[in-house]
Amino acid sequence: MGQGVHMQELPGIGKRYDIDLGSPTQRVSVVVRRGDIRDLYVFTSKGDEPTAVLELSREQALKLGAVLTGTFFEG
Amino acid sequence: MHADLIGLGAIVLLAGLVARIGRRYGFPTVPCYMLIGILFGPGTPGPVLIDHPEDLALLASLGLVLLLFHLGVEFPAEQVLGSGRRLFIAAGVYIALNVSAGLALGFALGWGTSEALVIAGALGISSSAIATKLLIELRRLTNAETPIILGVIVIEDMFLAFYLALLAPVLNDSGSTADFVVDLLVSFGFLVALFALARWGARAIALLLDCREDELLAIIMVGLVVLVAGVALEVGVSEAIGALMIGLVVSRTSLKERVEQLVLPLRDVFAAIFFVSFGLTIDIGDLGTVAVPVAVAVCVTLLTNLTAGIFTARLFGFNQRAATNIGLTVLGRGEFSLILATLAIAAGLDERMGPFVALYVLVLAIAAPLLASQSQHFARFVPDRLLRSRWKYVQSETMSTACIHQDQMEVTDTDVDVCQQCVDEGGTWVQLRLCMKCGTVACCDDSPRRHSRAHYEAEHHPIIQSLQPGADWQYCYVDEILVREPLGQARTGG
Repeated sequence: MGQGVHMQELPGIGKRYDIDLGSPTQRVSVVVRRGDIRDLYVFTSKGDEPTAVLELSREQALKLGAVLTGTFFEG
Repeated sequence: MHADLIGLGAIVLLAGLVARIGRRYGFPTVPCYMLIGILFGPGTPGPVLIDHPEDLALLASLGLVLLLFHLGVEFPAEQVLGSGRRLFIAAGVYIALNVSAGLALGFALGWGTSEALVIAGALGISSSAIATKLLIELRRLTNAETPIILGVIVIEDMFLAFYLALLAPVLNDSGSTADFVVDLLVSFGFLVALFALARWGARAIALLLDCREDELLAIIMVGLVVLVAGVALEVGVSEAIGALMIGLVVSRTSLKERVEQLVLPLRDVFAAIFFVSFGLTIDIGDLGTVAVPVAVAVCVTLLTNLTAGIFTARLFGFNQRAATNIGLTVLGRGEFSLILATLAIAAGLDERMGPFVALYVLVLAIAAPLLASQSQHFARFVPDRLLRSRWKYVQSETMSTACIHQDQMEVTDTDVDVCQQCVDEGGTWVQLRLCMKCGTVACCDDSPRRHSRAHYEAEHHPIIQSLQPGADWQYCYVDEILVREPLGQARTGG
């Protein structure tokens, strides 16, 4: 667990996690803000401008996380 | 009484609604509140919701106190203090440049020494709230310069505490030098006492104040803060600094997170009333008379911010884009400038101070988000030689600290000074690279045989370091970027 996940503090905002997907064109960073908002930064090109940024509430993040980890969801 | 409640309710509601419209266009909230205060106050023709701004005095000072208390509670001391000397140099240069430029402008205006000191602080200390919201809205949380920007504004907050402590005796203006020195000593003595309490008394405070019910904790906290702020004011230190210091004390206890959450909505409401009430004291006709000094002040601030941005970028090895991002993100002025202006008004300083700071904050509130979002255009005008002269920069590209292979930087030095493969094959090389995983030395990508890249492709060791004398960079093959050390307590999970 945790291999290839890099954490960095963002003073006053929260913590940033960079997830190593082993490819320069597939990068994901998650910023966990205080107050339980999570920002999902997705990079699909080699540049450093994010392709997409999603601002997720705690509930949304939990739902997304559960699907990603393979937990079954009904309805 | 009915009229008072109707006026207060209407003006707070309006402030909230206007700020909501402003947020849709990326406009910061603090100037919106102030603007509503100006427009519906007694100093402006048209409907007047509150005739006597002093009726709101108690609520407004509650806002000021809670604002600074919360700042103290959420102060991320460990994260910033542990993040190294370079950040303090960057923040020190930012503060020194901005405060001294503000001081020079203050003296140039010739309104008086106390006025110049207030202007120095109002121009020098940027708004944490505006900068933080800008970073989130402009989607820059993963940029390389973002932790530096956040670090700088946190150190600025700390500087604010010292500046307030310095300013309070100046504004009291007791006349003789001896009295002034005594005031200054009392002021700093109070600070030291609360620092000591924060350092050694945190556990006792937590025991004394803790209770499981949120209701009671909120009440106890508000009571404590207002009492300490009041005592601070009584001994000649400002209520602002008393509140900030007791916030720092609480931040050292186990109650930190709960208090932060409980006080946040209270702070937001009463701080809004504080900003509205500041607006109420401004006569809209006076804004015209300070237009020229404000225009000069805005230009000076823009210049000092960009200079500090370039300096910081040079210090950390960032490119032009990052330099302008730093300079323009911290351009916003807000809560702290208004707090200083309020103290100036309370101390009976030059009456142009209020309108001056109000207009200055308004102009920068419009300018900062616009300029920050367009930073790539400014980046084109920064020449390479202002940054690290030996480096080649991609001027307007965003930089990130995306390399996550820094845990594989194990070997940092070597005695080998040849590419062994080239020697074996009878070839030559241009420069040498060191594999930081296993210590293999091989030739660079400009050399004919590119043994370093071949080594990466065979072994998947991600990071190389240049062995060129004077070059101190590392490169990651996987992420295809230059590697830079992250700021603060960064670590790899495992």
